[in-house]
Amino acid sequence: MERIVTRFVTALREAGLRVSPGETLDAVRAIVLGGVGERSSAKAMLRMTLVKRVADFPLFDLVFDRFFRVSNDSEFGEELDDLLNGAITCFEEGANVLEAYVHIGEERIRLQVEGEYQPGDKLELESLTEVGDGGLESPEMMVQLKGYRGRGAPPKPSQRYYQDPNAMRLKVKRRQEMCFTFNDEELTAMEDVVSRMIHRLKKDVKRTHERQRRGKLHVIKTIQRNYRHGMVPFLLSLRRRRKERPRIVVLCDVSYSVSHASRFMLLLLQTLHKHLMDVRSFIFNREVAEITDLLTNMPVNSILEAIDDGDIIDLDENSDYGYAFVAFKEKYLKSLRGKPAIIILGDGRNNYNTPNDHALGEITERAGYTLWLTPEERDMWDLGDCLVERYGAYCDRVEVARNVAELSRFVEELFSSFYQDHCQRNRKNLRFEAQAEEPSAYGTYYIRRKKAATS
Amino acid sequence: MLNTHKIRKLLEKSGYIADGSIATAVLLALGMEKPILVEGPPGVGKTGLAKALSEALGFPLVRLQCYEGIDEGKALYDWEYGKQLIYTQMLRTQLDSYLSVSANLREAVERLAAEESLFFSQNFLVQRPILRSFLSEGRSLLLIDEVDRSDDEFEALLLECLSDFQISIPEIGVIQAKVKPLVILTSNATRMISDALRRRCLYLYIAYPELDREIAIIRARFPEICKDLAKQMVEFLRKTRDLNLRKPPSISEALDWAQALSILSTSRLTPNVVGSTGGAIIKHQNDMQKVMELAEKELIE
Repeated sequence: MERIVTRFVTALREAGLRVSPGETLDAVRAIVLGGVGERSSAKAMLRMTLVKRVADFPLFDLVFDRFFRVSNDSEFGEELDDLLNGAITCFEEGANVLEAYVHIGEERIRLQVEGEYQPGDKLELESLTEVGDGGLESPEMMVQLKGYRGRGAPPKPSQRYYQDPNAMRLKVKRRQEMCFTFNDEELTAMEDVVSRMIHRLKKDVKRTHERQRRGKLHVIKTIQRNYRHGMVPFLLSLRRRRKERPRIVVLCDVSYSVSHASRFMLLLLQTLHKHLMDVRSFIFNREVAEITDLLTNMPVNSILEAIDDGDIIDLDENSDYGYAFVAFKEKYLKSLRGKPAIIILGDGRNNYNTPNDHALGEITERAGYTLWLTPEERDMWDLGDCLVERYGAYCDRVEVARNVAELSRFVEELFSSFYQDHCQRNRKNLRFEAQAEEPSAYGTYYIRRKKAATS
Repeated sequence: MLNTHKIRKLLEKSGYIADGSIATAVLLALGMEKPILVEGPPGVGKTGLAKALSEALGFPLVRLQCYEGIDEGKALYDWEYGKQLIYTQMLRTQLDSYLSVSANLREAVERLAAEESLFFSQNFLVQRPILRSFLSEGRSLLLIDEVDRSDDEFEALLLECLSDFQISIPEIGVIQAKVKPLVILTSNATRMISDALRRRCLYLYIAYPELDREIAIIRARFPEICKDLAKQMVEFLRKTRDLNLRKPPSISEALDWAQALSILSTSRLTPNVVGSTGGAIIKHQNDMQKVMELAEKELIE
């Protein structure tokens, strides 16, 4: 019995599920306890002990059905032991486990190809790469494969850039975005990354709150709190200082050329919205639109669709950063509260329009910190119509971010420096203002501004 | 000897219609003394399962509702500082005479230290739900509701309690559960629960019920709803669940609806009926529109 269960667990592991030895033991105990009765109850028992996520149920079902194959469908109520024995002989006949899975889980296999190369995948790979004559390198193919918006339709203006074979080759290494919207796996992966990030950030938040609370004694509250201890002040209540929350404003370019990066940015934003942050989000191509409300109320995939369809802003125009910055300045700048941190995501490809970098200057003046994230490598910046260098001069930091991990790392860094800065400023206020200021990304910015203002 | 059949019967008596996998989970949890982690869409009867079980098996229910910021002081135990203080105050004269025997300060401290454990004994311990269920004489049912609302720290705290059924209190030592309680954790999956916790539990996913079971559930609660109406209701509900609504109606909504219909003594569904009683199953304005369209299409003959 144990042997059969362990074999089944191995099969599950090969299919990509994570099963611990402890869970295997549980499964054996469960079968011993529950007895081998009907097939369905045995299946329920194994599933209950071995698989701990709903998302893994379908895969489990597949492996189970394959492993405990019934020779004749009519013998449904057959003893499980027989079934198991049957399964084992069937396996010992030499049927390679892996080959068996090639047929079941094509989805899985395709995922495995990205990770490890396994001998059995070769077949599958060959069948996958049967594409037209041009091969993968041909421009049209690339556009098709990457699923750029307007699949099948003639390329839009901003896609012209990608049709240059040289640029194309550079892009091949990049993440491959086969699908249009996010699938569940991507969503949960993102949720995972962000929740871990939020978790780390929360510690910072807590620390700041604790520092903020360190003030004078709040006599009335202290007495109230210690009522049950006979007014003996065990628990102190302190007067709070003004609560400071990080404010973020995100400007996200959603034109075709950066769509692969902006999609992740939007997803990241939505997860942030869901959690704790005071975030205002804007998207632009030429016009600017605020999507803060959309992000809080709509699932991210439908937002992406709405953006792709051009429902929110017109995507058929060439992206024009200069125009967008001026529009943002006029429309929204006044409504920003405090000194928010501004994150701009875009490749800075202005299609040779007026740069209007003075507008960006005014925007950054209102901001406490400005971070520019571009999906393009540094050595591409001075090629063609890219203005990242020019705009970057106004920002505190310009970074290359190509995938979720990098995006979230930068956002996290921004947050933690934001909090640290608050701590530092609080401490500074406590000590003395004229003290030498410690160099931090945020801090130096303030000095620069202050000096500029006084001189 | 229990078997799944018996468990289903028992649960049915207390008004809960279980399917095979639920009964198996209960059987295993009882036999293996392992907690069950129940997941599923909201309103599908996760908490209801725990309540019905406590009634059916006669285990007293100890409920711990999780929320953000819950800690051991709220879940496991707490010290009664106030009581400790009052006792010291009241025992002051006793203490004086007790300590006056000693010749010097050192001896007095030693004598006092010898009695220290008095002040950190179970007398001054406030039992919070988990400790209470561990210390109860008979087997109890510990329901840890909506674990996903708590923080990671609390989840880590649960690990010791759930795998070894013990609680370590620094001042006293380790307290073992007298009788291992049957533990049920529920989660709405608003947050991913850590693998460590999942590994320690049996995993039960309760989905929306099949047609027959849902009819049975409705009929068990509201026998006055006739079979045809129940069937019509359930079929309609199943269609609304496919509509991709913001809050698809689940069993608890179905029961509310059944109650509404039985109060109005309705005998069959029409678009009008859906319109007037739709508030029982639909909780958003936009959803209501979609459901009305469906009703217009499906219910007119």
